[in-house]
Amino acid sequence: MNDVDALEIVGPEGVPLRFPRAPVVDRAMAFAIDLCALFLLASISAAILVLAGVTSGLLSVAGLGLVFFFAVRHGYFLFFETHWQGATPGKRLLGLKVVSRDGGGLSIDAVIARNLMRDMELFIPLVAIANPAQFYGRAPAWLLIPASLWLLVMMLMPLLSRERTRLGDLVGGTLVVRVPKAPLLADEAGRDSLLPPAPGHVAPRFEPYQLEIYGEHELETLADLLRQAEQGNAADEDLVLVALTIAGKVGFLGESPRREPARFLRRFYQAQRAHLEGKLLMGKRKGSKFDRS
Amino acid sequence: MTPQSTAHETTAVTRQNTNHPRSVAFRKAREGQWSQLDKLVEKALKQGLRSLSASELHGLPVLYRAVLSSLSVARKTALDRALVDYLDALAGRAFLAVYGSRRSTRGALRRALFTEFPRRVRALWPELALSAGLVALGAFVAIALMKIEPGWYDAFVDPALSAGRDPQASTETLRAALYGGGEMGEGLGFFASFLFTHNLGIGLMCVALGFAGGIPTALLLFQNGLMLGAFLELYAERGLSYELGGWLLPHGVPEIGAVIICGAAGLHLGRALFLPGRKRVRLALSEAGRRISMVVVGTIPLFGIAGLVEGIFRQSVTHDPTRYALGVFNLVWFFAWLFLAGRGSEARA
Repeated sequence: MNDVDALEIVGPEGVPLRFPRAPVVDRAMAFAIDLCALFLLASISAAILVLAGVTSGLLSVAGLGLVFFFAVRHGYFLFFETHWQGATPGKRLLGLKVVSRDGGGLSIDAVIARNLMRDMELFIPLVAIANPAQFYGRAPAWLLIPASLWLLVMMLMPLLSRERTRLGDLVGGTLVVRVPKAPLLADEAGRDSLLPPAPGHVAPRFEPYQLEIYGEHELETLADLLRQAEQGNAADEDLVLVALTIAGKVGFLGESPRREPARFLRRFYQAQRAHLEGKLLMGKRKGSKFDRS
Repeated sequence: MTPQSTAHETTAVTRQNTNHPRSVAFRKAREGQWSQLDKLVEKALKQGLRSLSASELHGLPVLYRAVLSSLSVARKTALDRALVDYLDALAGRAFLAVYGSRRSTRGALRRALFTEFPRRVRALWPELALSAGLVALGAFVAIALMKIEPGWYDAFVDPALSAGRDPQASTETLRAALYGGGEMGEGLGFFASFLFTHNLGIGLMCVALGFAGGIPTALLLFQNGLMLGAFLELYAERGLSYELGGWLLPHGVPEIGAVIICGAAGLHLGRALFLPGRKRVRLALSEAGRRISMVVVGTIPLFGIAGLVEGIFRQSVTHDPTRYALGVFNLVWFFAWLFLAGRGSEARA
């Protein structure tokens, strides 16, 4: 997870949790889906109302429709974000969620506040652009420039702000995150699927001084390589090359790296991780081989 | 772990066994718990918390805290990034499931309207005073200017809005405008809901524009004051003040009141942006946003009442004393609601 794209939220338990930030494109797509749903909802109810109005001949039905449209337009986001755990249908499809920045539950106040601003961010600028004469009314011409600039800034806020938040998120104290998902990969050090050593050979062993060279970065790189080898995505020559390099560096004597590089690397990974974790318990962290401590 | 490899571990390399990284045993001991939570969270996120059985619901926070503690330990002691990433994501998803949204409890609407709303409005008193002051100032300016030159009227009231009610109109026309509309009959319901949605839209815009430093909100309030003052002066000049009062008061109390409250909410937002005090702007804004959301919700019924009175009552009742009676009644409940409701629970809270 890239740190630039991670948002940190401290929950009530005091443990900082990292969430991937929802990309602007995803949010725009979610919003487009919601707009389509909204449009669909509005047109279906409009059809029903027109039908009811025509059959009953009552003008009040149209009035009811007016109120209903207003409620749908403003209530759609409000309803789903409070009832669907902070996700409208569009957000749900794209795996996004609204969370409270302070780490508490997403309160209805926050949802109302973030959706109040939607008008300001989208509908007001759109109306101003589409029909400036009606929007600004009889306001003097010089006023149009600062007003339009301000509206433009509001609208482009998600692109301008450091955290890619829109106005509503700012006012509601909320963030939109992507629902984090990571599979539990097999533990390369815990995998005991090693074949017993060939007759006449002993499993490679490492002395503590041989484990003082590499740090966490190299350890993770090795873990990735082992995972690839497990899936058959690493060529044998590569494994031999890596095994020989490590053996040369730590001063390992023996045929093991050349003969059975996978086993050698796995043993080394296990020993190296045990060594580094042991040191970590004593409060010593070694980030990489360049870290001298 | 296959039996074969276990045999190998125990016979051949006992020393290697003790050399296992600590995080391996750590993971083995807790993996079951993690996958249990994983399943629960998956279900809760897909189908909602309601889909969980009572025991599952009970287990969710317990397992969540267990995973949080695993995560804290793993971050500090385990050198397996895959493991930490997995726990990070699992804890994150569990957080979303557990704290995703705070559902309202029973009686929330009543509490919101009769306790929260008046309390929040009272807490906004400086902005409320400014907002009301801007409207009053607008009205005062309009009246003062029109006393000098009645032609100012056209500057204050958009000709499209005045619909012939201008200084050129005869007194009779002006009077008729106050009592017209009764023939609309069946269309009144439509008119009422049109007024409701239109005015509420303006109210919401007043709030949202508060983000622009409150300046557009202030302008909007002042302009509304100008319009109000222009009308008042136009009718006063013809000696129709009493009749105008009956026309204006019943719906004006909730409507102008709601506009002033929305304006105060917008100004509050603008204040948080420009004068956040010691706080960071972001924090000040989000706190202000949460404070005003209940205020805005409370104005919805106000606009609704105003719409009904304006769209139906005003159009069908032309008897001045009756109009005044409703106006006074509205004044009483409006101020009682705002200034008296929710006081008791204030002490408790």
